[in-house]
Amino acid sequence: MKTVVTSNPPADAVPEIAKIESFGPSRKAIVPASLLAAVLQACGGGGGSDGASAGGAASGAVPGTVTSGSAAADAVGNVGNVGNAASAKPATDAEAARFLLQAQFSASTEDIASVRNLGYAAWLSVQYGAVAGQTGWDWLNERGYDSNASVTAYYDQSYPADFMIWKQLITSPDGLRKRIALALSEIFVVSTGGIANRWRGHLMASWWDMLSGNALGNFRKLLEDATLHPAMGVYLNVRGSQKENASTGRQPDENYAREVMQLMTIGLSQLNPDGTVKKSNDGTPLDSYSLSDVTNLARVFTGYDFDLSRNDTSVSVGNTAFARLPMAFKTNLHSTLDATFLGTTVAGGGNGADSMKKALDTLFNHPNVGPFLSKQLIQRLVTSNPSPAYVGRVAALFADDGRGVRGNLAATVAAILLDREARDTTLSTSASAGRLREPVLRFVQWARTFGLQSAQGSWKIYDQSNPATQLGQSPLNSPSVFNFFRPGYVPPNTAIASAGNVAPEFQIVNETSVGGYLNFMQGAIRNGIYVNGADVPQASGGTVNGFDLTASYARERELVADAGALVARLNLLLAAGQLSDATVRDMVAALNTTPVTAASSDSVKLNRIGAAVLMVMASPEYLVQK
Amino acid sequence: MKRNPTTHAACSDAYPADMVSGASRRAFLRRSGQLALSGAALPFALNLAAMGEAAAFESSDYKALVCVFLYGGNDYANTVVTYDDPSHALYSQIRGSIALSKASLAATELLPATPLPDGRKYALHPSMPGLADLFNAGKAAVQLNVGPLVVPLTRAQYNSSNRALYPVPPKLFSHNDQQSVWQSSSPEGAASGWGGRIGDLAMGSNGNSLFTCISATGNAIFLSGQQALQYQMSTSGAVPISSVKSNVYGSSAVRSQIAAMVQRSSANDLENEYGRVTGRAIGSEQQITAALASANIATPFTAGNPLASQLKIVARLIAARTALSSRRQVFFVSLGGFDLHDNLIAQHPTALGRVSDAMTSFYNATVEMGIADKVTAFTASDFGRTLVSNGDGSDHGWGSHHLMVGGAVKGKAFYGSAPPVSNGNTTAAADQWHVGQGRLLPTTSVDQYAATLARWFGVSEPELNGILPNLRRFGTAGGRPDYPIDMGFMA
Repeated sequence: MKTVVTSNPPADAVPEIAKIESFGPSRKAIVPASLLAAVLQACGGGGGSDGASAGGAASGAVPGTVTSGSAAADAVGNVGNVGNAASAKPATDAEAARFLLQAQFSASTEDIASVRNLGYAAWLSVQYGAVAGQTGWDWLNERGYDSNASVTAYYDQSYPADFMIWKQLITSPDGLRKRIALALSEIFVVSTGGIANRWRGHLMASWWDMLSGNALGNFRKLLEDATLHPAMGVYLNVRGSQKENASTGRQPDENYAREVMQLMTIGLSQLNPDGTVKKSNDGTPLDSYSLSDVTNLARVFTGYDFDLSRNDTSVSVGNTAFARLPMAFKTNLHSTLDATFLGTTVAGGGNGADSMKKALDTLFNHPNVGPFLSKQLIQRLVTSNPSPAYVGRVAALFADDGRGVRGNLAATVAAILLDREARDTTLSTSASAGRLREPVLRFVQWARTFGLQSAQGSWKIYDQSNPATQLGQSPLNSPSVFNFFRPGYVPPNTAIASAGNVAPEFQIVNETSVGGYLNFMQGAIRNGIYVNGADVPQASGGTVNGFDLTASYARERELVADAGALVARLNLLLAAGQLSDATVRDMVAALNTTPVTAASSDSVKLNRIGAAVLMVMASPEYLVQK
Repeated sequence: MKRNPTTHAACSDAYPADMVSGASRRAFLRRSGQLALSGAALPFALNLAAMGEAAAFESSDYKALVCVFLYGGNDYANTVVTYDDPSHALYSQIRGSIALSKASLAATELLPATPLPDGRKYALHPSMPGLADLFNAGKAAVQLNVGPLVVPLTRAQYNSSNRALYPVPPKLFSHNDQQSVWQSSSPEGAASGWGGRIGDLAMGSNGNSLFTCISATGNAIFLSGQQALQYQMSTSGAVPISSVKSNVYGSSAVRSQIAAMVQRSSANDLENEYGRVTGRAIGSEQQITAALASANIATPFTAGNPLASQLKIVARLIAARTALSSRRQVFFVSLGGFDLHDNLIAQHPTALGRVSDAMTSFYNATVEMGIADKVTAFTASDFGRTLVSNGDGSDHGWGSHHLMVGGAVKGKAFYGSAPPVSNGNTTAAADQWHVGQGRLLPTTSVDQYAATLARWFGVSEPELNGILPNLRRFGTAGGRPDYPIDMGFMA
């Protein structure tokens, strides 16, 4: 195997802790091409030669990425039988755009050409090796947010986390990896607003970098990194949870034990391999765990707290070091009771590491994990209502990536995106097709498609959670560990409900949020984002006030005099060509009521571009990704 | 209902507000319609006998129910705090460092007109003086140990493996599911909630049926009925859509195109539904905005208290009831921050203080409007929590204590049974009303709590079973007169 791959990280801003073992394999690209080839093989299409040659071709195009996967021979070809899409190339630009908008945040003309040239699978292999770019952590430090000066008190602010995550989503070169990380952030939820702790900006940056680093890695490592992460420790209270105490009546904190099972690994109900719920004879779903399992598992998660070994504890603020160190274990605070859960017993009083390993192995190997996670990732990327067979095919790849490895997220993602149910465009026309694009994804898509830039490098985009005046959703800012919306949400009194379907994103759709979104975008599209003090990192102060964040619309300006060409471009890049002919016609007609020529003023041109973009982004045909 | 042409289908029931006889006929037809709809398709078919006494909603007066949902699972033991000496001593011993001192509770002691049996006493959390005063003034009451039940249960029955005889609510202790069970009797994915099912019966009483069930916070299944829709309101009113109301970057043609496009029907269910919501938003905004323009309340609501902001817009909507032709409304507001596995002592006071402050302001606003006895607010939450401490907080439980506030509440009183203060696991009587670590086993079901509120609102007794699916297993008719379907806390 000649794989290796690396994206050299920028020099660490804090040299003395640069070598600390931190979270995630984010310093290296994760997926050997051979593994992807195995997946593709397992997906039932492709064929080793295609995968290999495509990977090889890709290596020339993207510096520092994967070379070919000769180990395709490792593949087990009979695992998935997912379809024949693996070696396929999109027949049209629209099909390429549709794939790109499932796999990452946006589609550019160049992206479309690349997918059409390489084919779906080979394009994936390129992306799997894509350079990660600057980490969220490093950007915070570059901007000086690691300062412990009390005058700015960044350590008590949430906004560095907001600026960091928007910047990451909008400018990272590895769109696919970050797209998967964002999806994972809605399953492994930690919310900036829920961390009342010093240095929450750095805690969240480290959390995000951990998710990004593991997004195409192995689920088992993601699970352990999440469990021991100080941000999660604060959010779901593993941090500081201690053993039982008979004299005070104290019990271990149950929060993480419950939610790691319910939300991150196995879910409430026993699942069949295709994600359907197992039921008793009378039709009642079979619970996958009981209160006793929670109470017992909670014992395993006792004895952990911040690792302050590299913090100067003589000052109350200290430094950021703890925020990216796995929590430290204190034996004397660890439960001495055996923990019996999910049919396993972890002996009490252990050394921490062994108990944690056994507990997390038990969760990781539970048969629910594959279908539970696969279905939710499909919902995040492709469709709200995948068929059980689709879930089953993806879950099978999760269980075994074709090389005997369980929990390979790169394989899982490839299985999701290459599945015939994701690729077959004839399925787009069914009444239940697709998923509603999340407000965050709409905004990031707009920003990336049209080249949003921060003139001063401030990236001062704050929490956008207000549904009446903003997006009604902000990344890493879920109102609770249950995410912005639930995978099982059914909008009542709708055709969706009547059809027995779910529509998770509709949990944040209502008479307030539909208008809040449109009003917010109307301002941002035409003028950009207004920023106070764009020349300084802190929230207030500075002298540069104005639209620091603006979209360039470089290519749209070239087309602006031709309304038809302009709308056609937007239809392709924003909606993968899914605007109906009638809608396109109406939009063009509306634009043509205000004539624009090459000689028109910039303001007039921008009015037309803005109107075209707003119309597309207001259209339900765009809003639903099919 | 999938292919509604353009705008607000739900508004099509609008009638002139003064057509009282028309309103009667309308309600009759609505109820008849529900019967026709129900049959085998609806799980909780309405009782025909209800038709004979379905007069309550036809009156010309106004009534409102306001559900105040405390997201995260409120810690019951530090909200309605046990106060008599023996109980408080037990509570302190079990809770340890998260117990409230007796001295801190003196100013918020609850003084019922009729003392509780066995010398039991309670106080509210020290941060809740407003609600304590309302209790002692007879304008608020406490429902003790209420939670979801399918059937009345003892601890032994809960521990039994015979789930056919002793069914328990689905997905106990899970946040999202117990939120849903409280609001709808079903776990996540429920089709309707009991506030919405009450709304089904009430919507014919209102000039615009869309304004029957209104949320001033996020979406909540509580407010969706078989027909009634949850209508969403921001704390500053309905949101006008700029690109629909005004020229877009100077273009009226673009405005027209957006206005038509955003509410167009579609063969795709998701697109169609998004258009329906947008159509409702557009179709109702002007009416709401106009009505609210002159609906101002002098009673102060504390700025920065998110629950107060929500209850203020509810109060303003009630003030606008005549302009909106509203006679029966169900509202939903919420506050988060109650999932205090940690920092209970540090953070609970702020959260409960907001509840007390906001609900007190809201009550005062109803007094200002002269309709205090027409508006009833009540609390609900995912679940109660453990009585035992995990060091700095408490974990997920089941039963909890809740508050009812309003001029029609028979206040200065406790309803239900005071649970023993216990975390023991013996067969002693004192250990029978929790299921481990002081997670209360409810002695009053949410259905009983809801039925009491619904009857006051105007739902007839036979109709209650259509709104509350498990209610038939309670009360005299259900063979359990010790679990009455009317808890008696409403006038």
